[in-house]
Amino acid sequence: MRSSDGRDAGRLEKVIGRVMWIGTVTSSACFAAGLFLTIIGRGGTLARVLLPAGLFILLATPAARVIVSVVEYISERDWLFVALTLTVLLALAASVWAAFL
Amino acid sequence: MPPLTVPLALIIFAAGAVAGGLGIVLGLGGGILLVPFLSLALGFPLKSAAAISLTTVIATSSAVAAARAGNQLMNLRLGMLLEVATVAGGLLGGITAQAIAESTLQRIFGLVAIVVAVIVLGRINRRNVICDANADPGRLGGRFYDAESGCVVTYRVRRLPLALFASFVAGNLSSLLGIGGGVIKVPILNAWCGVPLRAAAATSALMIGVTATGGAIIYYGRGDLQALAAAPAVLGVQIGSWAGMRFAEHASVRWLKVLMAAVLMVVAGLMFARSGP
Repeated sequence: MRSSDGRDAGRLEKVIGRVMWIGTVTSSACFAAGLFLTIIGRGGTLARVLLPAGLFILLATPAARVIVSVVEYISERDWLFVALTLTVLLALAASVWAAFL
Repeated sequence: MPPLTVPLALIIFAAGAVAGGLGIVLGLGGGILLVPFLSLALGFPLKSAAAISLTTVIATSSAVAAARAGNQLMNLRLGMLLEVATVAGGLLGGITAQAIAESTLQRIFGLVAIVVAVIVLGRINRRNVICDANADPGRLGGRFYDAESGCVVTYRVRRLPLALFASFVAGNLSSLLGIGGGVIKVPILNAWCGVPLRAAAATSALMIGVTATGGAIIYYGRGDLQALAAAPAVLGVQIGSWAGMRFAEHASVRWLKVLMAAVLMVVAGLMFARSGP
């Protein structure tokens, strides 16, 4: 249960690092490609798909980190942190609700 | 909102690079510099500037978390606990922002900048690290190798209710003003809650991504956020942060705090000047 220096915390940290890296690289690649097409005057359908896709991946990355954390805390049977992490996810869901309603 | 032309996209990219670089070096998200630039220099409404800035906050958070993972500076449990408060505050801020006048937002921005500058200057020499690898960090504390003092640092988290309250306020201001919120949390976690500056900054950097996501979703849904404006800002901030991270390793904490306070005072002055009588 001693958290931050335990081996489990180290494993979660590595998984989170990987998730954040993939999300960052993918969204930046979409943004860069979409922006490049727009700048050279070919801002057609592809650019109009790439730019929102980059934005979507960008917004999904921190959410993915929270989901990875829920899974880790469930496997550690740390129910307090499962509950806290689910609360954070619920609040993100509430933002989507507040945005589009 | 100004029309999004190619030159404007390039200016946003450059501004993002400068804000991202300075942000990393100052231990901020960069938003506190990017929002005033987008709003005061480029003429974006503060709401749109905040929305664009929030996407760069998310990008910075993810990039920093990816780079820092493995050195134990990020306190994952403390971060998740405080995120409950920041996300709740962020949700409220995102909804409130829709109903507040531009000049009110500018005044809040100016006030926040001054308050943070004062906090930072008032607590300039606070170092609360225990150089003992065997000390008990407690359930929420942490342990990491600190290169500056050359030892394994252990810390315990004190005054948790204050940390939660600061996180709620930080989350609220994050959504409202488009800043990361680290400017509120990090000094308080460092000065009053026992978290060493570097650990507080790394944990905050991880947290602000989730907080900003909540706010950005609301702005996107309400039509204040365009992917074409976010793209150059995010790419600029990514490049600036990458450069800044290399520089930040060599910069001293004391010098960083003085620079941080000076920048905040300038931003505050400009915001008040623009908000009218």
